[in-house]
Amino acid sequence: MNIPKMNPLTWTAVGIAILLIALSIYAIEDLPAFGDENSAVNKQIKLFSVDADGLVESLDAGVLPLEIKTKIEKLGFIEGPTCPGCQNENYPSLTEGNYEIQKIEKGTWEGGRLYTEGGWDVLIKEGEIFYDEFQQYYFIDEIDGELNVYRYNWPVRVVERTEEETAMINAVTSGLADYRGYDTMGEETVILTGAIGVILLVRRRGRL
Amino acid sequence: MTPEKKEYKRDVIIEVTTDLMFPLILLFGLYIMIGTGGTGGGFQGGTILAAAYILYITVYGTDKAREKMPESVNALFKSLGLFLYNGAGWICVLFSLAAAQWLNMPAFWPITDFVGVPGSRSFLVSYMVSVGIGLTVMASFVSQYFDLAWKEEGERGGR
Repeated sequence: MNIPKMNPLTWTAVGIAILLIALSIYAIEDLPAFGDENSAVNKQIKLFSVDADGLVESLDAGVLPLEIKTKIEKLGFIEGPTCPGCQNENYPSLTEGNYEIQKIEKGTWEGGRLYTEGGWDVLIKEGEIFYDEFQQYYFIDEIDGELNVYRYNWPVRVVERTEEETAMINAVTSGLADYRGYDTMGEETVILTGAIGVILLVRRRGRL
Repeated sequence: MTPEKKEYKRDVIIEVTTDLMFPLILLFGLYIMIGTGGTGGGFQGGTILAAAYILYITVYGTDKAREKMPESVNALFKSLGLFLYNGAGWICVLFSLAAAQWLNMPAFWPITDFVGVPGSRSFLVSYMVSVGIGLTVMASFVSQYFDLAWKEEGERGGR
């Protein structure tokens, strides 16, 4: 077996490169996949939980129990530090026929994500003129005899959680550089590649 | 038919106005590039910084503008921006042991809390990332403008 003769410097460089590659592989293999339901963007917000006795049958029949309904309506659409006073503003009403409850079995694919736990989706019609369809708003699941109510709708979630998660006041900047960081990395690489292409095509020799 | 050589005409008003405006445009570009808490951002700030240099090239010609922005500095800025951006993300991924997708993990927050300045937690996003984007955009635009100007000069047989 022939080992090519190389400088000690070259051997060191090869060693550092192998170390970096191993470190990258170690980091990449644990990366959560894009669209993972537990990643920071796609998680639902847990709102509250109530006792489950007698409410499961009502949910299976497609009727939202009064206890959950009143709590959701009292909470309002945007509540919390961003908008303390504005309850029920821009909030779709939970009247009969305006919402729909869908049962989801454990392990189904829907909307590009895998439901690792079964539960019920609460779909609400927003009452738009041109887009009058049911949309996912709340998710209910049963754990240890308690019904937990979560909220979907990740734009609202970003408004509520962006300062806590990224420490940026500006939600647009946190979206550009943080939640969609790989996208911006690609854009910057495209600009650099364009400049290099212009140099290769247009620049004459001896101009550096 | 050979293209006739054009004399380089100097204009006092344009040159004095450029000398006055050049640092102000640079300052405004920096203000926009770093002000990511408000309306600013890396792309916009980098474009405004590039506009200042493009104004200088148009007024003073490529030879004098080359002293203002030499090729070594240009190439350094072009690659340094990308390294800053990618390095910030990779540092977060490695420090948090791959729990972060890009920057969205408070891996650096213990260090920034130790500094003790309120608002220093957003240092990574607002300064490293934005300045990286801005440097790359500025250097790329200036380099492309230099290339096109040199091509024009070569076709017309010098200035």
